[in-house]
Amino acid sequence: MLNYIFRRLIIAFFMLIGIGIVSFVVIQLPPGDYASAYQGYLLARGATADDAERAAQSLRVQYGLDKPVAEQFINWVKGIVTEGKFGYSFAYGKDVGELIAERMPMTILIAILAHTISTIVGVGLGIYVAPRKYGVADNVWAIISFILTSVPRFSLAVIILYILVIDLKQPSVSSFFSPQYVFAPWSIDKVLDLFRHIWPVLLIAGLGGVARNMRVMRGNLLDVLGSQYVQTARSKGLTENKVIMKHAVPNALHTIVAYQGTVLPYMLQGELEVAIVLGLPTLGPLFYDALVNGDIYISGSLLLIYGVLILAGNLLADIFLSILDPRIRYS
Amino acid sequence: MTAEQSDNLTSGIRPQDTSGEGTGVAVIGRGTNDALDNESYSQLVWRRFRRSKVSIVGGIMVLTLIFLAIFADFFSPTTIYGIDLQASFIPPQRIHFFNDANGNFHLGPFVYNMEYTLDPATFQVMWVEDTSKAYPIHFFVQGSEYKLLGFIPMNLHFFGVEEGGTVHILGTDKLGRDLWGKACEAGRISLTMSLFGTIISVVIGSVLGIASGYFGGWVDNVLQRFTEFVTAFPQLPLWMALAALVPKTADSFSVFVIMACIFALLSWTTLAREVRGKVLSLRESDFIMAAKEMGASNSRIIFRHLYPNVLSHVIVILTLTVPGIILAESFLSFLGIGITEPLISWGLMMRNTQDIQTLGQNSWILAPIIFMVLAVLGFNFLGDGLRDAADPYATK
Repeated sequence: MLNYIFRRLIIAFFMLIGIGIVSFVVIQLPPGDYASAYQGYLLARGATADDAERAAQSLRVQYGLDKPVAEQFINWVKGIVTEGKFGYSFAYGKDVGELIAERMPMTILIAILAHTISTIVGVGLGIYVAPRKYGVADNVWAIISFILTSVPRFSLAVIILYILVIDLKQPSVSSFFSPQYVFAPWSIDKVLDLFRHIWPVLLIAGLGGVARNMRVMRGNLLDVLGSQYVQTARSKGLTENKVIMKHAVPNALHTIVAYQGTVLPYMLQGELEVAIVLGLPTLGPLFYDALVNGDIYISGSLLLIYGVLILAGNLLADIFLSILDPRIRYS
Repeated sequence: MTAEQSDNLTSGIRPQDTSGEGTGVAVIGRGTNDALDNESYSQLVWRRFRRSKVSIVGGIMVLTLIFLAIFADFFSPTTIYGIDLQASFIPPQRIHFFNDANGNFHLGPFVYNMEYTLDPATFQVMWVEDTSKAYPIHFFVQGSEYKLLGFIPMNLHFFGVEEGGTVHILGTDKLGRDLWGKACEAGRISLTMSLFGTIISVVIGSVLGIASGYFGGWVDNVLQRFTEFVTAFPQLPLWMALAALVPKTADSFSVFVIMACIFALLSWTTLAREVRGKVLSLRESDFIMAAKEMGASNSRIIFRHLYPNVLSHVIVILTLTVPGIILAESFLSFLGIGITEPLISWGLMMRNTQDIQTLGQNSWILAPIIFMVLAVLGFNFLGDGLRDAADPYATK
């Protein structure tokens, strides 16, 4: 098994390099180099042409933008690995690494929360509907799950924002805390206040995940329920509840674990959409603003971060599955 | 056996078949195999597809939207191109059916014109019904001139009111354009963009999937690693990053094509996987072996024998790829990094909702959501039904 994990890690490493290259290409793609983008930004801000030119030149020297692309890439990676420096953001006036570090914890917290909730609810619903195959409950939930995955998530966010601001008149929608809790030490109230602000993200990012998990769990459980050992368990005289919960569900869970690698990108993208609409200070709005402003080091670095998060999620799912399911083939 | 005989045979057996249909799997599996053999593949698919009500509903939804989009000029009561700042943000006009405000009897739907006033207390803009004159809604009325399909001059509209009246069933937007007509028109871009993107991704996916499955060996290995890599990549962020790179000065048509290509770039992986799996299982089958033994070339085997057998699965995945692109396109256009004016898509129509103040006073501008949900839901339903129908020989 260790061998298997090791092999997965090596594959992940090469993937990582690939993701890094693509992210760097995105940084390099805009016409002109980063310094000329900065120059344009300064000019737009009302700097004189001379000043902008001089600032751009000093940036070129500082970041080695006059060197060949391959060397720039290696320097970029070296900076990330050794010093945690992702490049300079002109709109924020600091290194992108700092910006990411500020916003990363909340983003991951929200992603994990949404993920956990949607997995628990989705799996629970799957267990509920599978034995009622083609019954009323099954059909109703099937249709609900279809609708949940079909509504554009940004529009759901717009609707929730509308309700929050116009109907409920809730202040400070686009922050994590109400003003009175911003400087307060952590307490139950503060946590509750946090939830009052992030529930739209959890809800919208989680809903689609619930639907997907439910469908997969239902399918698996139905497969398992048709197998012979379940028949044996039933003929021993066990109650149906016990058959499902003790015998069928544990074996149906494996696919769910493997499936989490697929759900994670979906969650992160949901978080991205909702956070942008609500303007919550997570990585999403930072990414969007950077794209609009042409702040290329932020967009490139965040692309890398998103890739790494998804890669890590897949890796964890694989490793966890290999621990959980001894039948998995390591070849 | 002649065709006539086989027809007789089929019709002779069919009564048994329908009695067993859907009730007992075992009955269908054994008793009616002869009947199944005598129906063509498309008949079988259609029969299976028809059985699923949800997919029929999905198909109707999709066809309706396509129809509305193609004939948007006809379905819109007014011209869909003009702007009228006087008519900015008119709320949806209520459709009345019976007595009007003055107690006169009316039969059939009618509307009142909307009148612009200021709220006496808050001085906010208010639109109220002008109940002095009722405008009955007529169907197939003469109205503003337009060119059907871009070249047939016409002035017939599906519904409308007499000269002097207006009918905005979903209200108007900031520029005073009828939201219903605009939403119909926006379907053109939203649907063609997603179909175009899907077709590109189908081409990429089919080529890579067949190459991977048919040739195997190192080709398969390399292509599989590549597919894995593309799958591992975060779709939406990369789409956003690439879309944002499209220069603002590019003309609408280039933007359209580039966006479709960007969406296609990451959407082909599922298709490539499924095609590969299908080809892998077919590669060893007898009829491919026979074709090989007879000396058929690779291209002949692929195009004459393999691909037709994979096509049904391709169509299924095509249907399921479309909604993903519709969702992504609408999000990007909503953010302002996708489709730009003068083209219009459902997402772009939602752009004004980003401003919470505008949205707060004019909540009806959320209407395009309905169209998006219908489109995505329709394609999902359709794809789901087709998935079951695509393999009619499987006993289920």
